[in-house]
Amino acid sequence: MSAPSHPTLSEARAELGIEVPVHAIDRELHKLRTQDESRTHASLINLVVYSEKPGALLENSAIVRHLTREHACRAILVEVDPDQPVPGIHAWITAHCHLDHGRRSVCCEQIALHLTGKVTGRFRNTVFAHLDSDLPLVFWWQGELSGIFSERLVSVIDRLIIDSSSWADPAESFRKIDEASRSKSDLILQDHAWSRTWQFRLGVASIFDDPTAQRSIAEIDRVEITYHPDHRNSALQLLAWLAVQTGWSDAKRDGGKPAKNFSFVSPAGITIEAQLREDAAAPPISLLVLRAGDRSAVISQAAGSAHVERRIKAPGYEVNSLSPIDPVSAGDLVAMQLSRGGKNSLFSKILPRFRAMLG
Amino acid sequence: MNPFREDLVSRSTPEPCTVVIFGATGDLTHRKLIPALYNLAVDGELPTGVKIIGFARREKSDAEFRAGLVDVNRKVSRSGHDEQIWSSFIESVSYHQSEFSDADGYRRLAEKLAAIDAVRGGAGNRLFYIASAPEFFDEILINLKNAGLNRAANGCWARVIVEKPFGTDLATARHLNEVVNATFEERDTYRIDHYLGKETAQNLMVLRFANAIFEPLWNSKHISHVQITCSENLGMEGGRGGYYDTAGALRDMVQNHLLQLLSLVAMEPPTDLSADGVRDEKVKVIRSLRQWDTPEKVAANVIRAQYTAGHVDGVPVPGYREEDRVNPESKTEAYVAVRLLIDTWRWSGVPFYIRMGKRLPKKSTEISIHFKEAPCVLFNASCGGTPGGNVLVIRIQPDEGISLRMVSKIPGNSLRLEPVKMDFHYATSFGKASPEAYERLLLDAIAGDATLFARRDEVEEAWRFIDQIEHAWHQSSNPPPMAEFVAGTWGPKEADDLLMQDGNQWRRL
Repeated sequence: MSAPSHPTLSEARAELGIEVPVHAIDRELHKLRTQDESRTHASLINLVVYSEKPGALLENSAIVRHLTREHACRAILVEVDPDQPVPGIHAWITAHCHLDHGRRSVCCEQIALHLTGKVTGRFRNTVFAHLDSDLPLVFWWQGELSGIFSERLVSVIDRLIIDSSSWADPAESFRKIDEASRSKSDLILQDHAWSRTWQFRLGVASIFDDPTAQRSIAEIDRVEITYHPDHRNSALQLLAWLAVQTGWSDAKRDGGKPAKNFSFVSPAGITIEAQLREDAAAPPISLLVLRAGDRSAVISQAAGSAHVERRIKAPGYEVNSLSPIDPVSAGDLVAMQLSRGGKNSLFSKILPRFRAMLG
Repeated sequence: MNPFREDLVSRSTPEPCTVVIFGATGDLTHRKLIPALYNLAVDGELPTGVKIIGFARREKSDAEFRAGLVDVNRKVSRSGHDEQIWSSFIESVSYHQSEFSDADGYRRLAEKLAAIDAVRGGAGNRLFYIASAPEFFDEILINLKNAGLNRAANGCWARVIVEKPFGTDLATARHLNEVVNATFEERDTYRIDHYLGKETAQNLMVLRFANAIFEPLWNSKHISHVQITCSENLGMEGGRGGYYDTAGALRDMVQNHLLQLLSLVAMEPPTDLSADGVRDEKVKVIRSLRQWDTPEKVAANVIRAQYTAGHVDGVPVPGYREEDRVNPESKTEAYVAVRLLIDTWRWSGVPFYIRMGKRLPKKSTEISIHFKEAPCVLFNASCGGTPGGNVLVIRIQPDEGISLRMVSKIPGNSLRLEPVKMDFHYATSFGKASPEAYERLLLDAIAGDATLFARRDEVEEAWRFIDQIEHAWHQSSNPPPMAEFVAGTWGPKEADDLLMQDGNQWRRL
């Protein structure tokens, strides 16, 4: 077997643990587990983190170390370099251990795999062979969907985590997911772009919990969303969510590429103008304004702020409150998604509308 | 219906409201209620526009009241203390000085609430939290009614949370319930029992009814007996002897917390997860308890005890009657063990043992389900020679979790069997800390979900059962004796004998 040629790999060796032959991963993991009897081995999920980015193993190992503080899992990190001419596979094992109440180490096992060359079959079989039985498989696919992303792979995944903001052509990538998940109707899809809108959606929901405010939903006539240029998908998903939940039908969008202005018609026949604005210095979503005549609900996050502000404004009345911001790092977004669990059915519900907005 | 709530949280929706806390200068408000509300704000769960008014007798300004809260919050808040969120949160907190008996104080409170509602643009929701000493419950409720604060405007609600104790016996509980229900509808009355807000207590129903393997075994055919233990290593520190000596273990813990846990373990599957669906089934359990209605039955099924001087955690501790603020001639029990029988088809013949005590070796609350042993054939050919049956343990606190004891072969050439334990710890499986019980319960009350609160009939049925024991102890001519145990041990020998008579023994914690 040829040695991997990637320059970061030698650096990675120490961080990734003990290098072991692929056929001996289970045996070596068992040895690792029995080395220290005071340790507890814990796992609630299988977490596969897949990337084709050079050096990803190292980055992802650090993320998983952090993630396992809250989410006990069997982690399988995969870095694939399909452009290497010689097929090869290297494996490392380690355990991320955290103190439980300062007393006992709780450890989550990690297998890191580096694959080179044409890997499709080897990748799938190696990963499948090392899953913890009976535990759900959460598959975090980082970056663009490549040829390795197939129906066969999706058939064993319970929860697929992606970040559509990192895709050059989100419409095409969502089509690929559609195609690959045809025979997997219960696949749970989680998009970081959607997770980045969580506090804004929670803020909107919280404002309209008030029965008085709720009556204004039918009178909304204007929506403004300000987003970072890298996070247009989050803005569109937020808009799609507003439209789906309020029953607004599409009226028109401007001819710009990408479109910045959308209009909708509410069930009561009110026209809603929605305007999307970019702000390269702001967080992924920095402002959401819903106006109904002289009343407005404003959710905002200033650059560098640790809080999202919710504000209701009406003539003679103004109230505001703070909530935490959404996680920023990919690892924290995954942690949040794992904490929330569930079927993410709301995302499935708004997905067709969002895809239609992608044009 | 708020369309934006869909799929955001799988729970009832908390609505904006004003929370009025009676007894706002007390320990409960400082250590539990305000930190709970603050943590809800940190998590973004507190509805926008919630206002909090602390109602108490001492002269204080808003600023003084707020200053007194911040220090405690820094020390006890589950999620730490974020100055920016605290600053925003504390702006919604104000103080209202009044005697509980002063009608004018309630009139001024009504004006304050109306002013808050007016700013909000109309009528508002109100949640009254009675966290004062129990002797003030009556006058607070009556004054709320007289000030018209018990009735909400159209489309709004007015709810009341009542802290334990819900009376000291059946008569006082009934009286309190009558006063409460003369002021608030039963559906707007939330009797708080913080044990029910604990994660494992909530998980009991999930364990039973979301896992297909347990329910078929959850009956007298497969279960030998059930034990519920609440042990405390503390005694009467911090002046608590004054209250405790008037209450005792039976009234302080068994009547509420432990009977609530018992009903969750023994209830039938509810028809739905609505508050009344669940509480209907819970109250049937309490109603089905065989009554210990004579001193003889009490003597045969209930053990009471006081501790004598001993050592806990290596430190010498006094006996119960030597404790601070405890009557040296006290007849109050600091330990109680009860054998209960539930006369239903499911539980016929299965004893439930409950024990609660102070100055036991460690602090722990747990439920253990002891399954019947395997038939006396094959590995169990000599009955009693094997290490016992399966035990499912549900740990409520500390170290919340579930474990299952089973028998396994010891590796080797000979056939030797030993018990092994499969263990699930919340802390290690879910690294995230559970919300404090008060956070969950406050949010439920704001959302109008009474599932985790005790209903009037539950409270009164529990008192009916407890009263008979209290009567036998304190009013009969031949009261069962008070046993003794050395502090730092697992209770009196008489409590061990209680189980021994049935061929059982207390689980070693």
